[in-house]
Amino acid sequence: MKVLLFVIAVAVSIAAVALFVRGALTLYRLIGAGQPSPGRLGPVGKRLGNMVTEILSHRRFRARPLVKAAHWVVMVSFILLVPTLAIAYAQVLDPYAELPIIGGWPVWQWLLELFSVGGLVAIVVLFTVRLRHPSEPEDAAGARDWRSRFFGSTRWQGYFVEAVIAAVLVCVLVMHVLTSAVLARYPETAEAGSWVHYPLTFWVGQLFWSLPPVALEIGIVVAATFKILVSMVWLGVVGYATTMSVAWHRFLGVLNVYARRETDGTPALGAAAPMLVDGKAFDIRDLDDLDEDATFGVGKIEEFGWKSLLDFASCTECGRCQDLCPAWNTGKPLSPKLFTLALRDQAAGMEHSLDIFAALKSAGAAGELAAPTRDADLVGGVISPDVLWSCTTCGACVDQCPVDIEHVDHIIDLRRHEVMVKSEFPEEFNGLFGNLETKGNPWGLPPRDRMDWAKGLDFDVPVLGTDVTSADEVDHVLWVGCAGAYDEKGKKTTRAVAELLHLAGVKFAVLGQAETCCGDSARRAGNEATYQGLATENIETFASYGVEKVVVTCAHCLNSIGREYGQLGADYRVEHHTQVLNRLIRDGRLNVVAPPEDERRQITYHDPCYLGRHNGEYDAPRELLASLPEAELVEMEHSGSSSMCCGGGGARMWTEESIGTRINSARMDEAEATGAATVATACPFCAIMLGDAAASRDQAPAVTDVAHLVLAGVKRGLTNPTNEAETES
Amino acid sequence: MRIIALVKYVPDSGDEVGFEADLSLGRVGPSSRLSELDEYAVEQALRLRTELAGATLTVLSVGPAEAESALRKALQMGADDAVLVTDEAIAGSDVFGTATVLSAAIRSLEGGLVVAGMSSTDAGLGVVPALLADSLCWPLLSQAAAVSVEAGLAKIARVDETGSRVVEAALPAVVSVTDQSGEPRYPSFKDVLAAKKKSVATLTLADLGVDASAVGVGSARVEVLAVGRNPDRAAGRVIVDVDGSSVDEIVDFLAAATK
Ligand code: HEM
Ligand code: SF4
Ligand code: SF4
Repeated sequence: MKVLLFVIAVAVSIAAVALFVRGALTLYRLIGAGQPSPGRLGPVGKRLGNMVTEILSHRRFRARPLVKAAHWVVMVSFILLVPTLAIAYAQVLDPYAELPIIGGWPVWQWLLELFSVGGLVAIVVLFTVRLRHPSEPEDAAGARDWRSRFFGSTRWQGYFVEAVIAAVLVCVLVMHVLTSAVLARYPETAEAGSWVHYPLTFWVGQLFWSLPPVALEIGIVVAATFKILVSMVWLGVVGYATTMSVAWHRFLGVLNVYARRETDGTPALGAAAPMLVDGKAFDIRDLDDLDEDATFGVGKIEEFGWKSLLDFASCTECGRCQDLCPAWNTGKPLSPKLFTLALRDQAAGMEHSLDIFAALKSAGAAGELAAPTRDADLVGGVISPDVLWSCTTCGACVDQCPVDIEHVDHIIDLRRHEVMVKSEFPEEFNGLFGNLETKGNPWGLPPRDRMDWAKGLDFDVPVLGTDVTSADEVDHVLWVGCAGAYDEKGKKTTRAVAELLHLAGVKFAVLGQAETCCGDSARRAGNEATYQGLATENIETFASYGVEKVVVTCAHCLNSIGREYGQLGADYRVEHHTQVLNRLIRDGRLNVVAPPEDERRQITYHDPCYLGRHNGEYDAPRELLASLPEAELVEMEHSGSSSMCCGGGGARMWTEESIGTRINSARMDEAEATGAATVATACPFCAIMLGDAAASRDQAPAVTDVAHLVLAGVKRGLTNPTNEAETES
Repeated sequence: MRIIALVKYVPDSGDEVGFEADLSLGRVGPSSRLSELDEYAVEQALRLRTELAGATLTVLSVGPAEAESALRKALQMGADDAVLVTDEAIAGSDVFGTATVLSAAIRSLEGGLVVAGMSSTDAGLGVVPALLADSLCWPLLSQAAAVSVEAGLAKIARVDETGSRVVEAALPAVVSVTDQSGEPRYPSFKDVLAAKKKSVATLTLADLGVDASAVGVGSARVEVLAVGRNPDRAAGRVIVDVDGSSVDEIVDFLAAATK
């Protein structure tokens, strides 16, 4: 009978392995068919090091400590249990078979038992977590469950994967129980079957001491066979279903982490990935090298780089991205998870899995095709244009994703194709692009008005080229930015920062009319050509005045000039005004004085996405607020790296927001809920968006840039010297 | 049939307005460009070209050599080819001179339908389409908010304060379109690259057989006597009111203003 079981186990295994190898090869072909993703394979050592530490530490699992711990245990138990699957074949023939060398070693056996029991508990946790989050719309026609991160995840696949792990772990434990029982029966093997080797199962094994040894042996053989069969069914099913990424993630996720964009372990945020044309970064200055029929961005699935295709295939469907997406949470059809899964299924060239497609449909996110064909246009065919244009590029999804999927870069690549090849985009961008190209700013206001903000200041603001010849002559070059020059709120912030620099005795100059838009909105709207036109113009201006570092008041300028111009060969040090002001206060060059007692208040701080998540600066503005004696900082429900966008990023500032509720309004709800009197922020886009939300309410908190609060505090000291003496004592 | 869209190279509306020594308007500002209103003409011409089998679209401009950039923009939008009439002798021409040159060019190009903007954005006279139609002896369909061409007839809808009327005329004809006719397209980068291969032909007065003495400052019938800057607007008066007490003040102000 043992031989028969062995033959069955081996036969099933061969079939399963064959299916699995076929699946693996299919995936290899699919992913390998992508365009080049240069630089994603090396440096090998650094990448390997990061991969091992990132995965072993589960560093990129954000929040949800229980799920993180449970998953870690499941993952380690899987790795540990692979060798036990190998020996199971021998155990079918000989129930006493042991792994060579380590098999009878107590340390190994303790580890096994610990992780088998731990793994079982952990899988129950994951299972329960999943059960408690419904993943299907209650009413497939329209409803969607906002709160569930599993909405649209393929439910049965998750349960199947979990059930297999649970079954395998039960088999391992049953075999341990029976082995310890049978060994403990004979004096010569009693020691080998004792608690020293079976620390947990020995005690359960005692219950079976009364059974005849043969029965125990048969039990071991049956359990070993069952373990093999369950594992092999998993392998076969997974091999058959290459889009079952919840199962494939344990292999592909590892590769994906290896090939991540940033080798230093940070998420793929900050700069957008360069636009590749035939594997080379596009540069507007070498248009002559461009191939006749060069295409831009990604229009069809095979135009994605292989790393993007690997991204799609690796998604665990965990929904962390969806959970924090401001677009999804305000009723737009964009979920970064469903977006990823739609592309995954499209890449596989198979029928779109019904769960995903139904979810896309019920979210209004599917393209026009009833069943997208292989060569369908991604935008319009597979996903609706509203999915694409709803993204604010806030980066929450990228920051959250534990397998390092790079959603924002994918979205920008698709937008590039829409704009640069198809010329299809939200109507409002017509004006935006025209204004940027002809006037050098999104508002379309004349360049000669760029210095209007400085009118009426009681000191002169020197302009490079007119009052100062080179950046060497000043401590700081203040980059005003379009919002800082044209928007009313932005102008006030620029004035406040200029006044503070002046009061601190800092020598600074501005570029005046020589500035043109940093290009952030153009780039994020997918208009790489216009972005590069603007960026290279600024780079030339910087070169002509010897500018190497600037101070900005806008998080988008910070990101473009500081993080993106490097892709065009420039290298600038860019500081945000909150960083500079923070330093000036610490160095004692600015003194903030407390207001009278009755003006003390609670302040909440809204993290601009491009300052926080994209550039990692969460502290400087908070430290500034902490230095204000009148302020007590209260945090919103979402803050820091899981902060919620104001709705103005990704060029969404310039478009109507007609689907769902407004993001700025949802964010203002969070601000109001803190009870704070003031929402401080540190980016003109956020100030505009939140200001708009506040304007439509009766009693909303006041929205202001941190700089104004600092200036008010500093000015108090100037008008009332006694007060200043008080705070200093 | 050859459709001809007329475009003008003008200073950007954001540029400081400049004048030449002879008081004619400076055409080459820091960011001169294809007149925004003419983009509507190009857009409608492009649409008609697509709708009419066998039609081609030529964009035509009269101006200095720099005006090529306006034509380039129209080529990026999708025009098939471009013609620039440029000649020292044309400088300083008034609207009559411009219409003379344009009509000669249109004849020599054998245009069958001319589409123009409603007005230039610099001088803003808005009479060139009419003068041109007169000079060509073609019918004029002006200020169109919508244009269509069918069976040798051009049909437009003109919308004004009194209502809307539909007018039609047999081709060849001159049509001028308003900024209500449909947003001009934004050329994709692919289009921009493709336009690099299109050519801009330059013609002189001699090529067109126009007598140089019929155009230019010398023969201008319009004479500019003086140019001056509008005074900066004075800051308005702001009345701050929290309790409605300012009603009288506002009423007095209005009464004084309407006296
Ligand atoms: C190598 C062995 C691994 C095993 C056996 C394994 C197993 C599992 C299982 C059973 C689930 C639960 C399915 C569900 O309920 O959604 C899961 C989810 C997940 N896995 Fe893995 N995994 C492994 C490796 C990895 C790696 C290397 C990563 C990431 C780098 C990863 C990331 C995730 C994530 C993010 C989830 C979703 C958890 C959640 O619900 O939030 N896994 N994995
Ligand atoms: S970047 Fe922000 S808005 Fe865009 S998909 Fe990700 S979470 Fe959603
Ligand atoms: S994209 Fe990342 S965060 Fe989103 S569901 Fe997939 S694995 Fe989870």
